[in-house]
Amino acid sequence: MSDDLVISDLAAGYGHQSVLHDLTLRAEAGRLTAIIGPNGHGKTTLLRAISGLIAARTGEIRLGAERISGLPAEAVVARGIVHVPQGDLLFPDMTVLENLRMGAFLPAAARQERTVLEEVYTLLPKLRDRENQIARTLSGGERRMVGIGRGLMASGRVLMLDEPSLGLAPIVIEQIYEVIAGLRRAGRSILLVEENAMRAAAIADQVHLLDHGTLAWSGTGAELSGRPELLETYLGV
Amino acid sequence: MDVFFQILASGLTLGAVYAISTVGLALVFGAMNMLNMSHGALMALGGYMAWFTMTGLGLPPVAGMLVAVLVCAGVGVMIYLLIAGPMLHSEGFETRVFIATIGFGAMLESVILMAFGPQPKPQPLAVQGGLSVAEVHLPVQNLLILVLAMMLMAALALLLQKSRIGRAIRATAQNRDAARLMGVRVGMVYALVLAISGGLAAVSGITVSSLSSLLPNMGGDPMLKAFIICVVAGLGRVPGSVIAALFIGLFEAVVQYTVGVRFSFASLLLLVIVVLIWKPQGVFGRHQGVRL
Repeated sequence: MSDDLVISDLAAGYGHQSVLHDLTLRAEAGRLTAIIGPNGHGKTTLLRAISGLIAARTGEIRLGAERISGLPAEAVVARGIVHVPQGDLLFPDMTVLENLRMGAFLPAAARQERTVLEEVYTLLPKLRDRENQIARTLSGGERRMVGIGRGLMASGRVLMLDEPSLGLAPIVIEQIYEVIAGLRRAGRSILLVEENAMRAAAIADQVHLLDHGTLAWSGTGAELSGRPELLETYLGV
Repeated sequence: MDVFFQILASGLTLGAVYAISTVGLALVFGAMNMLNMSHGALMALGGYMAWFTMTGLGLPPVAGMLVAVLVCAGVGVMIYLLIAGPMLHSEGFETRVFIATIGFGAMLESVILMAFGPQPKPQPLAVQGGLSVAEVHLPVQNLLILVLAMMLMAALALLLQKSRIGRAIRATAQNRDAARLMGVRVGMVYALVLAISGGLAAVSGITVSSLSSLLPNMGGDPMLKAFIICVVAGLGRVPGSVIAALFIGLFEAVVQYTVGVRFSFASLLLLVIVVLIWKPQGVFGRHQGVRL
């Protein structure tokens, strides 16, 4: 309860363009909450607004008792909300290890860097082999893993993953989702943005469907699996 | 053979002088896509601060260097707070900051002109005498500049590679949004980068004026050459620009000896044209999209 991520009446966008409006939803602590919806309907914008990369225009974002909206990105991550952005956004000229260490940049995370690094290597053993490779030269799946590993290094309270399967081969997607399932079993709070609704339904405790920048439907993953007409209406599948 | 070493020595000195001013420009461009056109005025300010501290206040050379570096670093921070910072998120930041810093540089030069007058002054922070090895004559001042430049480059490399703040600078340069998501306060990084660049400009101004003399507009020519080196190396490539600076120093020394001094700048520009045709992104550059 104390670590729930609560979004109320949120509006956000870019320049003159408004993307999100009147959005209210909750991501409960210790559970995996998935955001699904068609492309261009505000899933990524929501994560960017939560992490402070763009400013919320109206409404409020809270983590537990603390108000997050209005804080700059560097302050939001200091409060424990870690955003693994779409397209990885690695530091291309740094090695894998340097990228991971950047994840633990803030003093609180830096103090337990070694311990967490071992945990990350246990979870993503491939990163240990690639430790000294320059990020730019990695394959798409490896880059994604570095992105997730870097997010884990921050030892945050909420992990936000933006389309972790985007552009990857099916077998690599399976590997990534096994990692996410492992994080869920470990009881981490995860906010997952996923375009593939069935994949999200299979793994999520709670699913929120975004349409035209606002909440169209909420339910459990199992409920979503039993509502094919929803998917047809909103996602055309 | 003696001529060869003589050219090598003067070319490396020239390159070392260029490297100090170029690295400051490259660092700022690499971190924030900003061409600081007031870099030349900062160099003049550094030179005059050393002169003022030593000749005006009668303090020792170390104090002269220190005051110059601190004042110019402070002006660097001021450039961030008053000019670059407020326009950072505006459209067309690169163009705006380019023009704004031209204006700031002109103001700074005018202030120097008003404070110190238009007559050339000798730079007191210079060492007389020379060293003769076989038939090669090396002024001690040139050797000092070479050593100083190498020490500065090594210190900067150490800072960027090994320190926490250095990692923050590199992260910001490589991906600003990602750096913010890691908790890096990019505003602090930008202010710091401009401070370091200002400090390097001060050292550069002192070395340039110690080889010629102090003038309010003395920074114009070295800044132009620093830009040329930046373009040849690839804008924002810090280690590449050091190599390019040394290469261009040697190139200039060779041209000056073989073809004549009056052709050195023209052939430098020719070299830039060739490089831009051959590799438009610079020798060490990689293609990159516009970031802001």
